[in-house]
Amino acid sequence: MSPIKIFQNASALFITLLIWVYFLIGSTVFFLFGHIPACLFSKNRASAFQNLNHINMGIFFALTRFLIPRTKFIIQKEVLQIHSSVIVCNHLSYLDPILLISFFKQNCTIVKSTFFRVPFFGWLLRNSFYMPSSVGEVQGQSMVENIENIKKHLAAGGNFFVFPEGTRSRDGRLAPFNKGAFSIARYCNAPLKLVYIKNTNKLFQPGTFLFKTHDNIEIELELIGTLTPDYVSDNFSISAVVDDVRNVFEQRIKR
Amino acid sequence: MTRQEIESEVKKIFLREFEVENPEMDLDLREAYAFDSIDAIELLLGIEKFLGSELTQEEKKQAMDIRTINQICDYVEKLVATRKDAPGVN
Repeated sequence: MSPIKIFQNASALFITLLIWVYFLIGSTVFFLFGHIPACLFSKNRASAFQNLNHINMGIFFALTRFLIPRTKFIIQKEVLQIHSSVIVCNHLSYLDPILLISFFKQNCTIVKSTFFRVPFFGWLLRNSFYMPSSVGEVQGQSMVENIENIKKHLAAGGNFFVFPEGTRSRDGRLAPFNKGAFSIARYCNAPLKLVYIKNTNKLFQPGTFLFKTHDNIEIELELIGTLTPDYVSDNFSISAVVDDVRNVFEQRIKR
Repeated sequence: MTRQEIESEVKKIFLREFEVENPEMDLDLREAYAFDSIDAIELLLGIEKFLGSELTQEEKKQAMDIRTINQICDYVEKLVATRKDAPGVN
């Protein structure tokens, strides 16, 4: 291995460790001095938790930008203006949900069910009104409460973002879509904003530990479509909406 | 609305929303069709549509433990009765 490669790997390891150390320490500090006081004193706990997560992840990405200046973030202003919507995204990397949390103060999403069983973290997720990805994790009555909470969250201007593939794509192609997120959108009578995420997998590849710190990477968030389905129409079909959304993403990927 | 009409409406919802044709009345929906709580939410939207009125959060919660088509029909029958008895409803 060439000395340059050794240096690159060592610095990538150092930067990666710095970023994840911030993630751990920052999350702990926010938990102790943000989430716990908010739990005790805030009138709207979920909203306060979401805002704290947003600030924490904002700092995480500010640090990432500072430490990895070769990576540029190109975020369309139309994306930043989205509100009261279900944001449907393709999924490339673990960075995707936290990137979206960093941009939206009032954020709500579906999180891998296993994280709900992690002590403290699971509590934080539940109190942020995030939902577990496996519906088996949610007892029926809690499901009604969860979805009613999302409805109120959307009505108050918040966004609910979802990754209907359910898992990160390893080859850039779309995995089959799960229709659950669309059922929630229907229940909440919410518009669908389709946001295409590009290159987060190049910065932090699935299955690897190190951030790619020496490549020129442009991470983009692009609004590629808006759907306002007529949910109450007799002809409404959830499968047709899922197909429409999928088509828009497929057209964008082909470009 | 008669029990027969309710059954027919519920079966229509199953066909439209879940592509299940003529489901058996006493089959456990979770075991037979992997029916989950998101599907139950879809079902509730369908029921609201044919009743022409919104369900309360309590009514929705009651529906989440239902397992068979017969139980769904019982549930809808109860909803119809409640709405009929409500003041101002003929």
